[in-house]
Amino acid sequence: MEKKDHILYDKTGNPSKEPAWIFRTYAGHTNAKESNELFRKNLAKGQTGLSIAFDLPTQCGYSSDHAIARPEIGKVGVPINTLEDFRILFDQIPIEEMNTSMTINGTSMWLLSLYVALAEERGEDVSKLQGTTQNDIIKEYLARGTYIFPPEHSIRIIVDMYEYCLKRIPKWNPSNICSYHLQEAGATPVQELAFALATGMAILDAVKERNCFTHEEFEQCVGRISFFVNAGIRFIEEMCKMRAFSDMWEEITKGIYQVKSEKYRRFRYGVQVNSLGLTEEQPENNAWRILIEALGVTLSRDARCRALQLPAWNEALSLPRPWDQQWSLRLQQVLAYETDLLEYPDLFEGSRVVESKVKDLIENANKEIQKIKEMGGAIKAIENGYMKAQLVKSQAERLAKINNDELIIVGKNKWKEGIPSPLTNDPDGGIFKVDPKSAEQTLKVLSDVKARRDAKKVAESLARLEDDAKNGKNLMFASVECAKALVTTGEWADTLRKIFGEYRPSTGVEGQKLNLESDKVSNVRNKVEKFQKATGARPKIVVGKPGLDGHSNGAEMIAVSAKHAGFDVIYSGIRLTPEEIVQSAVEENANVIGVSILSGSHVELAEQIFAELKHYKADIPVVFGGIIPQPDFEKLHSIGVKAIFTPKDYDLMDVMDRIIDIVTEKIPASV
Amino acid sequence: MTVRFAEKELKELIQEASQGEKYPLAKLISELEKPDSFEFRKVLFKELENSGFNGNRSVTIGFTGTPGAGKSSLLGEISTNFLQTVPDKKMAVVAIDPSSHISGGSLLGDRTRLSLPVREKRIFFRSQPSQLELGGLNPYTYHVIRLLRCFFDFIFVETVGIGQNEIEVSKLADISFLVMVPLGGDQIQFMKSGIMEVPDAFILNKCDEENLARASYHTLSTTLEFLRDIVPGGSIPPIFLTSVKTKKGIQELLDFILKSKPHTKRSTETKVQIEKWIKTEYGNFGLKALSQTHFDPNGSFEEVETSAKTEIEKRYK
Repeated sequence: MEKKDHILYDKTGNPSKEPAWIFRTYAGHTNAKESNELFRKNLAKGQTGLSIAFDLPTQCGYSSDHAIARPEIGKVGVPINTLEDFRILFDQIPIEEMNTSMTINGTSMWLLSLYVALAEERGEDVSKLQGTTQNDIIKEYLARGTYIFPPEHSIRIIVDMYEYCLKRIPKWNPSNICSYHLQEAGATPVQELAFALATGMAILDAVKERNCFTHEEFEQCVGRISFFVNAGIRFIEEMCKMRAFSDMWEEITKGIYQVKSEKYRRFRYGVQVNSLGLTEEQPENNAWRILIEALGVTLSRDARCRALQLPAWNEALSLPRPWDQQWSLRLQQVLAYETDLLEYPDLFEGSRVVESKVKDLIENANKEIQKIKEMGGAIKAIENGYMKAQLVKSQAERLAKINNDELIIVGKNKWKEGIPSPLTNDPDGGIFKVDPKSAEQTLKVLSDVKARRDAKKVAESLARLEDDAKNGKNLMFASVECAKALVTTGEWADTLRKIFGEYRPSTGVEGQKLNLESDKVSNVRNKVEKFQKATGARPKIVVGKPGLDGHSNGAEMIAVSAKHAGFDVIYSGIRLTPEEIVQSAVEENANVIGVSILSGSHVELAEQIFAELKHYKADIPVVFGGIIPQPDFEKLHSIGVKAIFTPKDYDLMDVMDRIIDIVTEKIPASV
Repeated sequence: MTVRFAEKELKELIQEASQGEKYPLAKLISELEKPDSFEFRKVLFKELENSGFNGNRSVTIGFTGTPGAGKSSLLGEISTNFLQTVPDKKMAVVAIDPSSHISGGSLLGDRTRLSLPVREKRIFFRSQPSQLELGGLNPYTYHVIRLLRCFFDFIFVETVGIGQNEIEVSKLADISFLVMVPLGGDQIQFMKSGIMEVPDAFILNKCDEENLARASYHTLSTTLEFLRDIVPGGSIPPIFLTSVKTKKGIQELLDFILKSKPHTKRSTETKVQIEKWIKTEYGNFGLKALSQTHFDPNGSFEEVETSAKTEIEKRYK
């Protein structure tokens, strides 16, 4: 029988259809109990894998009862303090049958230990556990901010996990190289390719250096590396990027790491499509954007993802509601089950356009990788600030293009007029809010556990963790023991903080400039000049990023824009307390404080900031920016916030214009 | 521009600042940083003197070196040790960062690398844009330091960039350090440009690794041997090996700083600073006029400034 080119054949030569990718929804909020219900509902709706979102304290290694955790409990994910929370979270969910992805980095070892402890407690065969801990600490230093320890110790933890998993949970992916956030932070496709692959090599080099595996085991290890990427709106280019990824990974694993088995060289990846391009304006347009972005990573069989999660149409407004997540899941189901997408061999094989584009991406990405290699690899390029500065630069260029109307975003800088969306007219405003009282439940579970656990066992297991950390032993064993002894997330992380220290990476904003010269820029600069004439000094802004939310793009762009406008800018990076931010503003006698918050904790943090200003008897105006829903504006204004900027305010000079006006208003009193 | 604060208000601000209140001090500094602050300076320093604050016992420490030498992180460690080990003393930091030449704006990032305790009255940190003077001090730094000396026992001044401008800091510091990194290759370049003769002491920072540190130490000390002939007394400046990562050498460096006394050159400081200012404002013509001006070396900057200006104006006619 003649084989037809448009038919897909399986290994035995029979016509077949490709199985669908794993459908996931990045989910988790409020507390373990609520999240458990959400997971079970999602699975019943046809979701085929779990993707757990953890709240910021869990990600940063703080228990819910830590002061810094309080405003963040259950906000952007589920809070996990002890094994008890995992018992609740996975109640009635057969973890041995699940493929569970945990978006966790700084505390990934701890969460995996809890998972293992839970499986052992349930009497399951631990070797059957399947899933992924994200554990890509490098992108945390660059883009997302939930790192804890310095690079060398973070890498050590990752290698410990590879060593442990290979022998005990062979189907687990101990780390997943996540270029997703790099694109969110402004990375071009070339940068996404280069930085992700350089990270992959850094991990493989560290594993090799440990020298704990035979070559066969090392090959298996390479086979366990998976990637988590971003798919943007330029979907043809994104599809080509995925093909480039596969080709380059093949070259790297075969050429540099001598992996003989084809199976272990395969580029395995999951996707979350881009949130950066989602707009707060006309949010209904986001539905189409998400569909198009999903096509980029599903259309081409040779570049098809293994797992997909789609954001919700309203993610630029707030956290999605369960209904919004359901809508996203339905899109995947339509794509996979209604269309004929999975019935064909690769559609783009032999396309000259695609081939040429892929070649181009590979060439440029290789150049960039070479540069990183010459610096001594990805870890060095983090420590010297190179990668971060490159991303801030790309982001500034992208924003300048949007501001100059060179990059069209429908509903944002073009075709702005429209009928308001009926989707947001629901009584809940189309957005989701975590019940502030729900944190009590988490705290109660935590205090109950602390009251009834065996204190001696806790102390012993933590002592072992400390010893093992000092003596270079694999930390997984002590961590699982800690999990079983009901140690808390904060206790685990604090013990290691004591030994490893905490990391502060470079902010990447220094030396950056904005490629923006327009009438608006001159207008703002004129106002700045007037201010300077009137007061004898440049306006001074302190840009602050309080709390545990590490998404610093907004703060970085404001810092760079303010400098461009002629301000003196003080920006000290992420994870500062409101006390630290106010102290900077007071000591510097700043004219304004600009605060960026994306985690939904704006009200609590505003209250803390104003309390601190009161302590210093300082009357410095404060403006807020971030994902702040309209209904919260009044509350923030009543606390004293002068202006609120949301993703709608993408025009950087409009923002600066409002800020200089606020600063100028104060002149009569301050001259 | 007129003086912004009424007499009573100024007195209050000074009193509060002397008690470690940050906002009043910050406001005073902002006034000093303005151009034409002459009248304000006259009133302020007079008032300070009347209130018994003269800053004579305070020590000024200059930290200079190439960007990336880790000066800020090092200062962060020193501050931590200072607060822990010297409970009865106060310190201030002035960190100078370059400004943008396009917009004039600046990004002051030095706080990034320092983690300072909050509400701690014994330490005060202030950033300063270099006001388009690439590296080096800005025109108001000197007056800010004069003010800080009144309230703090130790003033650290940190400057970025490298070149002749950089060593400006040594002209107002009682003791100045050049911060370098192991095998940075800077030594030879510095030697050529004469910079090696300026600092009172050297710091090899980022000595995380022993062998590299030792190798660099020997290179540097050999280079410094050449100085023996030109340095009075023939003694070569000390070299400190430090690492923020391993905490190496931090306490030793702090102990050395704590033992420092206000330098004898303090008496000529006014002269040096006024010359610098006159040179910027009136060039060689001004300097010539200044050389004809007789002033009391112990007089205030503002008195000297007034007599210099009078002399210059006389010559203009």
